Parts: sequence; C-alpha cells; structure tokens
Amino acid sequence: MRKLAAALLPVAAILAGADPLAAQTAAPHDISGYWELPVDGRFVPRARLSPRITPAMIEAEARKTTKAIRWCNWVGMPTTMDVGRPLNIRQGAREIVIMAESPVAPVRHLYLNRKTHIDKDTFDPTTSGDSIAHWEGDTLVVDTTGFEPTKGITEIPGGGFRTASAHLVERYRLLRNGTVLSVKFTWTDPSVFQTPHSYEFRYQRVEKGYEPWPYQLCDPFDQERAAFLEQRQ
Amino acid sequence: MKSIVTALAAVLTLTVTATDPVGAQEGADRNRSAAPSARDISGFWELSIDGSNVPAAVLTPGITKAVLDEQAKKDAHAIRWCNILGLQHAMGSPRPIDIRQGARMIVIATEVNAATRYLYLDRRTHINREEFDPTTNGDSIARWEGNVLVVDTVGFDGNKGMTAIPGGGFRTADSHLVERYRLLNNGSILAVTFTWEDPKVFRTPHTYEFRYHRLPQSYEPRPPLACDPFDQERTRFLTTPPQIPR
Amino acid sequence: MPAGKKYDRYNSMLVVPVRMHHRFRALMWRHVMNARRVVVAAALLLATFIGSGGTAAGQQPEPPRVPDLSGGWLRLDSGSGSFDGTVAKHPPAELTAAGRSMVVPGDGRNLIPQGGFTGPAKQAGEAYIVNSGACTPEGTGGSAINPNSTAIFLLQSKDEVLMVREGPGGRRFYMDGRAHPDLAKLPPSMYGHSTGRYEGNALIVETVGLTEGNVQGGGKRRPETRLTERFELGSGGKRLTITYTWDDPVLYVRPHIYEYVFERLPEDSYAFETWCDASDPLQRQSIVPPKQQ
Repeated sequence: MRKLAAALLPVAAILAGADPLAAQTAAPHDISGYWELPVDGRFVPRARLSPRITPAMIEAEARKTTKAIRWCNWVGMPTTMDVGRPLNIRQGAREIVIMAESPVAPVRHLYLNRKTHIDKDTFDPTTSGDSIAHWEGDTLVVDTTGFEPTKGITEIPGGGFRTASAHLVERYRLLRNGTVLSVKFTWTDPSVFQTPHSYEFRYQRVEKGYEPWPYQLCDPFDQERAAFLEQRQ
Repeated sequence: MKSIVTALAAVLTLTVTATDPVGAQEGADRNRSAAPSARDISGFWELSIDGSNVPAAVLTPGITKAVLDEQAKKDAHAIRWCNILGLQHAMGSPRPIDIRQGARMIVIATEVNAATRYLYLDRRTHINREEFDPTTNGDSIARWEGNVLVVDTVGFDGNKGMTAIPGGGFRTADSHLVERYRLLNNGSILAVTFTWEDPKVFRTPHTYEFRYHRLPQSYEPRPPLACDPFDQERTRFLTTPPQIPR
Repeated sequence: MPAGKKYDRYNSMLVVPVRMHHRFRALMWRHVMNARRVVVAAALLLATFIGSGGTAAGQQPEPPRVPDLSGGWLRLDSGSGSFDGTVAKHPPAELTAAGRSMVVPGDGRNLIPQGGFTGPAKQAGEAYIVNSGACTPEGTGGSAINPNSTAIFLLQSKDEVLMVREGPGGRRFYMDGRAHPDLAKLPPSMYGHSTGRYEGNALIVETVGLTEGNVQGGGKRRPETRLTERFELGSGGKRLTITYTWDDPVLYVRPHIYEYVFERLPEDSYAFETWCDASDPLQRQSIVPPKQQ
C-alpha cells in the first residue's frame, strides 16, 4: 500500500509538470509582456569612477561606440535594455528571454535552470554575458558575468564601461498591479568603479494588442550612411 | 484693363486657396501619391540608434558646471511634473514623429509629451516679440530653398519643458534655431540638421544632424504613455537614488 | 492512547481486552493512514487527469496538450554531409508559370564579388572571399524561417511563443487567437506575421506577410504566400520536426512541403552569440572544409 502510494505521488507531479505553460501559469510572478521605457523612466546617478579611469580611456570607449554603430555591430549590454522601442520579455520555466526591437541588439537569455555561471574556461565572452536568474520573493535577481570588453557599445549609463571583469546584478520587480516593471542595475568592477554603480529603469507595460512594427535593417555598406556617421561637423 | 483683370485673378486665386485647404492639401497629396516629391516631407518618421551625428557643443566660458547642473534640475522638474517638454525632446524621442504638410503650414505631431509643432509656410517674419508668449517649441516659420525646407525658430521659453540640447548646452529665451529638412534615398530618409545659436550659451553655432527612417503609410500612432505627477511612488523614484539591497 | 470519544468511536463495536484493543487500534491507524495516502495520491492523479482534459468518455473534447518545445534546438543533417545535400533530398517545388517567372530581387548585400568562385579549385583549409561580409540574418546567424547551423531557441508563454536565434531579433507566434492583419496594411518583413495554436500534440504556426524571396527546394514566396509550420516532438521529446508547407495558388501548382529535424540541446546548454563584424575582412571569407570522413 505504502509503496503504491509512494509511486503514485511522483507520477502525478510529473503529469502536472509536463505542460510547459503550467510552470508559467503557476509562477507567482510573471514579467512577460511588452515594456517601454518612457522619458520619466530613468534614475541614473553619476558613477563614481576609479581614479585609474582617465579621459583617454573614456574617449577610447566612446570610439568603440562610434565604431559599433557605424558597422551595425550587435550592441549588447547595457544598451539592449534601452534601444528606444519596447522590450519583449517572455518568461518560461527554464529561462526568460528578452528581445529588443532592434536589428543590432542580441537576444538575452536569463537562465532559471542554473545556479552557477558557465566556467570561465569554457564560456566565450559575449556582449550580453552569461545571465543566471532566480526569484527572491517577488524580485527576479539576475546575475551576469562573462562580458566581452571590446565588442558592441560598452558605455554604461551614468559613466563607466563594461569590461571582462564586470559583474552586473539586476533586480526586476513588478509595481502598480503589474503595469510598471522596475529594473535596478548594479555594476561592480573595481577596475572601473570606486563603488558599485547602481541606477534604475522603470518600464511601462505597453497597451494591449501592441504588435511590434518591422524595424529598419542596418546596412553597414550604405555609403551615404557611412559618410553621415563618419563626418565631423 | 489688363491690370484690373490681373488684380481680379489674383484676388480669385487667393480666395480659392484660402477657402479650399483641401484642394491645397490635395495638391500636396498629388505630389505625394506620384513618386515621393522632394518637397513633401509628410509621413511617419522614426529615429533609430544610428540616426544621429551629434558633436560636442562648444560652450561659452560662462556656462559652468554649476550652471549646467542648475539647468538639469529644471529639466528634472519638468519631467517630474509631466510638463510638456518641447524642443529638442520632441524631435529626438524614440517614438515616431508624424509630419503633415499642408499649403499654409507643416504640422509635426509626436507620440510623447510635447506640444505639436507648427511650421508656418505663409509667414516670412516671426510674431512680434512683444506679442508672442514664448513657448517650449517657439515660433517657427518655414520656406523652401530648392529641395530643402528651412525652418527658423525663435521665441523659446528658457524655463519650461526640457531645455537640454543634444551635444551640450540648453535653450534659452534668446536661442535661435535653424533647421534644414531634406529627403534622401528616394524619400525613405529625412535628414534634418539643427543649428542652435545663442551667444550666452554657445561660443560658435552648434550643429548636429538627425536622420529619420520613413515608416509605412499604414503605421498607426500609438497612445502616449501615462504620466501622473501626483503618483507618490513615481515621485520617490525620480527624486531618490535607487535602494539596492546588499 | 488517550481516552475519549475518538477512542470510544473506534472500539464501540468491539469487545476485547484493553491490551489487544490497543494493538488493534494501532493496526487500524496504520491501515487508515496508508489508505489515506492512496486516496490522496489517487485524487491528485485524478485532478491532473481532469486538468489535462481527460474526462469520462464523450463528455468534452479533449483540449490539446501543450508539447514542451521550449529550449534550444540544433538542426540535424539528414545524412547528406552538407546543407546543400540536405536540401537536395527535399521534393522540389512545383511552380506555376507565374512562379517560375517571378524574379526575386536580392538586397544587394550578400553578393559574390566579381571573380568569386572562379579560378582554380581551393585546397582544404584555404580561405577565400565568398561574400560582401554583410551581417544579414541569412548571412550569419541564420534566418528563423530557414534555420541554418546555429541553434534556435523556443520559449512558450501564454500569449506568445518566441523563436529566437543566436543574434538579434526573432519571431513571435501570437497565441491569443488574433487574426492576421489586412495584408494591404501590413508591410512585408523578414518574418511576416505569425499566429499559432496547439493541435493534438503539435504547435501549428501560420505566417503571412513575408518579403518576396526564395524558398528551399526551388520555391518562391511573396507577402500573400501562406507558410504553415508544424512543430512536433519525437524520440521522447529529444527530436523536433518542423514541417514547412508553402501554399500559394499563384506561385505553386500544389503546396510545397519539406521538413527539418532538430535535436534538443542538453538541459545545461546556453545560447552562443553569433558575432558578426562587417568591418572585419575575415567576415567575408569562407574556408574549404576538410574532407569528410
């Protein structure tokens, strides 16, 4: 009898878990949706940079930005979170995907099924890094390392820039009955910041029925465009 | 006799034009429905991440960090209180702008918290400064020079809305803005150069350029996002650094 | 054991000595608890069964089960040794006269430079210029309409299913029953407009509004062409077959059908970033692969 009972319980659990939407339906918090960053959606204090960060270094990072835009490179973090158009966030059981409406913002994968980062010897650094996520009560905490320092737009709001040693922690929380998504970003990198640099974005949920409009593809070989971006006033 | 006929014809033309705005618009529309006319900038236009070339402005020595910080506080106040934001924000927001060209004026409507801009084609001079109440968008008059629409704007209010200018500096009551609009790439791109002159702010005129992509005619503008100046949580967010648990 | 009503209820019908009564009571308690466990487990099973739609026969139509397609998938070579070889196994498209005469304008970005593919054959491992180096979806990470060797990732959520690649952008399948917009108002795009539903054990996605282009196996497409994709799991959920059906009576004599098979990535897999830099001369190169063993 006992063995039969013990056998039946996991079977029931397995049957319930086979539906990939069940986990989402059962999740107490779901940040899925289209989210737009309004003009009053940013609180970005000035970063306290390490004394080692010189104007020349900052200028060098700005040149990376210019080059990335000129050549339609993937922009990566943190720019993916503020490209202008709404973000599409979809929450599943294994991961949460963040897709920006831009031809140059790579899709972010926030892995819920992992507690540790990919080994540094295995992981090829990317502009988005390696993100793992877990829920702490009503807050989604996302931990990202593994950034590629030379590609994309490295500049960080408020000052500073991402490097190979940058560590980003984001905290996502729904506010106002799920109509506002608060995301607090904290960058820690002793080679850039004197103290961890934090800022917050608050996205508004986009109106019901919203469908993204096709965006303009980016052509790095458009001579007119290249001349425009490379000209000096 | 000839002069009477000429005068009568002129009066008749003026009357028809003045009382038939649709006819005038249809004239413009005809221009649009044939291949995009080089002199019709009507359409929905979007500014993307690679759509701006903004050099650093050369500011006068009088514009110190303290002055800039003070101006930034004014801008923060405008955002905090959901004030209409005006130029330059209206032209640089991520939402598309809607430009509609008529015979007497060109209207630029935005999907953000900025008043509609009116670029008057039927005036050659600005409203008298004694009469005109300065606004966040100023008083704009426009004319075509070949295929370039030149827009001249004065009459800004230096204390309202978001005054920051891309590249540095800010608009004041003495600011003078000249914009030059032209279509590129068979009408699929709208290039706009902005030149700000204000001896109190800029040592030399400050110029930058935006290039907008045309959206399909079937694009439908979206409602603006909500802004509630009495939302306490929002106020706290805008005025207090984020609290991050360690 | 405490005295009281419970005790009395259990033994009210029994007339036994107290010691045996205690033992019997303990035995009865064990049986009751085991029975309770069985009842609870059975109730759970029943609730799950009902929740998943299975009820007494004939009472309600069984709602479609939602297959677990979420995760990463890698396209498999069906034994031909190359992508061209894979495509060669597809039944060729049967085009109408209009379809055959349709000219697909290129976007001018992935042109073979002059002199490309001419000259003496390259040696294994030798690099050569193969295109203009533009970072187009077809040129790098692969289109999510026609996946190449980079992984695709599916994420099922209530209102949408996302299909993303290892780069920017992706496809959205709207799952809320909405219709396609009027094609006259919908600007054609790389991924068109897609709506989806679950049918049986499959996800069915219908797409219209694609830009003019070529289709595998000699096919063509235009915004009015309807693409139906059927996503089905096999091999215990480790394989995914996507069956593509291109339907357009103007272009095709009959619907053009083929399938791709994907293997599920291990649970601990993660998305790479298909980096592409058009300013890098290496971006324009390909390399002759070594001889396949």
